Amino acid sequence: MRVPLLAKYAVRTMGRNVRRTFLSVVGVGVGCAIAIFMTALTKGSGEMRVRAVAESGYGHLRIVPGEWERTRDNDLRLADWRGALEAARSTTGVRSAVPHARTTALLAFGTRVTGLEMLGVEPEAEFAMNRIARMISEGRYLASTDRDAAVIGSTVAERLEVELDDDLLLTVVGEGGEMEYAMLRIVGIVSTGVTDLDGAFCHVTLDEMADLTGFEGAGEITVMLDDPGALEDIAPGLRSEIAAGDDVMTWMDLLPAQSGDAESDEVFMSFLSFIVVVVVVLGIAGAQLTAILERRRELAVLMALGMKDRQVVGLIFLEAVAMGVLGAVAGLLIATPLVYQTATSGIDLRSLMGGDFSISGVLLDPVMYSDMGPWMVSQAFLIGLVSMLIAGIYPVWFALRIDPTSALSLREA
Amino acid sequence: MNDVLVEARDVRKDFHVGKITVNALRGLDLEVRKGDFLAIVGPSGSGKTTLLNLIGALDVATGGVVSVFGQDLSTLGRRRRAHLRLNSLGFVFQAYNLVPVLTALENVEFVLELQGAGSELRGTAMAVLDELSLGDLSDRRPSEMSGGQQQRVAVARAVAAKPRLVLADEPTANLDSENAEALLKMMRELRDEHDMTFVFSTHDPLVVSYASRVVTLRDGKVVSDEQKNSDPGAHRSAN
Repeated sequence: MRVPLLAKYAVRTMGRNVRRTFLSVVGVGVGCAIAIFMTALTKGSGEMRVRAVAESGYGHLRIVPGEWERTRDNDLRLADWRGALEAARSTTGVRSAVPHARTTALLAFGTRVTGLEMLGVEPEAEFAMNRIARMISEGRYLASTDRDAAVIGSTVAERLEVELDDDLLLTVVGEGGEMEYAMLRIVGIVSTGVTDLDGAFCHVTLDEMADLTGFEGAGEITVMLDDPGALEDIAPGLRSEIAAGDDVMTWMDLLPAQSGDAESDEVFMSFLSFIVVVVVVLGIAGAQLTAILERRRELAVLMALGMKDRQVVGLIFLEAVAMGVLGAVAGLLIATPLVYQTATSGIDLRSLMGGDFSISGVLLDPVMYSDMGPWMVSQAFLIGLVSMLIAGIYPVWFALRIDPTSALSLREA
Repeated sequence: MNDVLVEARDVRKDFHVGKITVNALRGLDLEVRKGDFLAIVGPSGSGKTTLLNLIGALDVATGGVVSVFGQDLSTLGRRRRAHLRLNSLGFVFQAYNLVPVLTALENVEFVLELQGAGSELRGTAMAVLDELSLGDLSDRRPSEMSGGQQQRVAVARAVAAKPRLVLADEPTANLDSENAEALLKMMRELRDEHDMTFVFSTHDPLVVSYASRVVTLRDGKVVSDEQKNSDPGAHRSAN
């Protein structure tokens, strides 16, 4: 296949001033690299946030009674929780689904009392899904055969001054509005290191919860997906499979503050990337314009020979594209080691966050990992090409104003 | 059959330099006929290059009419003038002005590609170079050629698309007499064999000696128009 001469001309032009070409390519490359690195961090932290939300007991999706979204009443129960659980577990793309029931409870030991939201769970499924449940510091997590047993957070234990195997007095409001009492033995203590989480953790079995409150069944099904990005695709299908009156909510609906934070992070990083690209574009536009100024006579000659405006535009943009491709490659070469390092070793934020990594009841990972993937290639080429094409606009405008009559004399073009 | 390729009537061209108006051409009349090997001579500032710019559709007259191949150039927009230059006119410049990053062959091909020629353009370009005995230079870039070689390649580029009219601005100004003569012989052969018409602006007596017709400008007007009877350059060819 014959390569058009216009393309050869454009590519070879880069070799005329190797130093300028090199600096321009490095400029575009650095801009690409910064944008890629910031995007990698944003994507990585976003994915970690979603994972943290999901693994803190919220899931990616939650099946709730229809009225729950409006009332947030923990006494509400799903119309058919076993059917909903089965539907969720058989849905393609769902990694796991666990039932929950919640109630507000008072725990007492001696003269000390603390209030919290107690969670009824299926122990084995919960342990597999909930990362906080796996942070056992003493004892063990619940088993499905447990009766009159609870796992509490370390801060709860400190407040009540209790230890493993102590018996707590539990007070809840029953189905008829009467106070219900029970004794629960502490079989395990969870410690996340985050006071808010450890001060609100109390798990019992789902059956225990039903016995205590008189409300049978589950009040919610927490659903984990294989791919959190498929959330909007899976939710409608799942909604059609569950009983009428029940609903499916996303984690963004459940935690609007977290969702808002994620969006703010993305907007901020996009804005920073935009600023970087603008600075690069301005720098490259200057270099491109200088290159055109140096070639005024040459362009005047080509226009005198009959080169049309669109061909002049094509030539300069081809040069920009060639430079953009090299800049993108340079950007990938610069960014890849940085992204790889942060994707594998991560950035430890403990010194910045003072050791508290929970927001809105979500236990965040103190080590932030960037996201490394094929998207980096497409982003590098997108930024490289778009910035070079934008940088070429003014030089093109300038080139089109060159007077072709200057080709016929030694006067300056 | 109308043999007049270029007709200039009462042509005026003014340039504005700051607040000063320079009258480069002041009511110039000229006809260029098919087969002319025409030298435009005159002192610096007499309007030679300005006239070439107007005939070459590179510029527009301030007044009067310039018609090329029967088309009044003042009625043509920028795009149609570019089309006219590309398809019907050839240019040879004083400073050669080959594209430095392209080889001799590619420089010739380039004009053909701009015209939209397809896969045959390489063969056409090579045939032109061979016809002008420049085939050996086909792979060389301008920086690898002498001034005379570059100017001959520039002529090849100008005539590759078989234009009816070739305009040359001081084509021998940067050449020694040997190269200049070789160039002029080459252009004369092109005129004879391909029915091309050549118009030169020049100070070079050698070009004048080869010209079939000499037009002298002074102060933006034609002051003499001499048609030679003898075969241009014959006295030199005989040497």
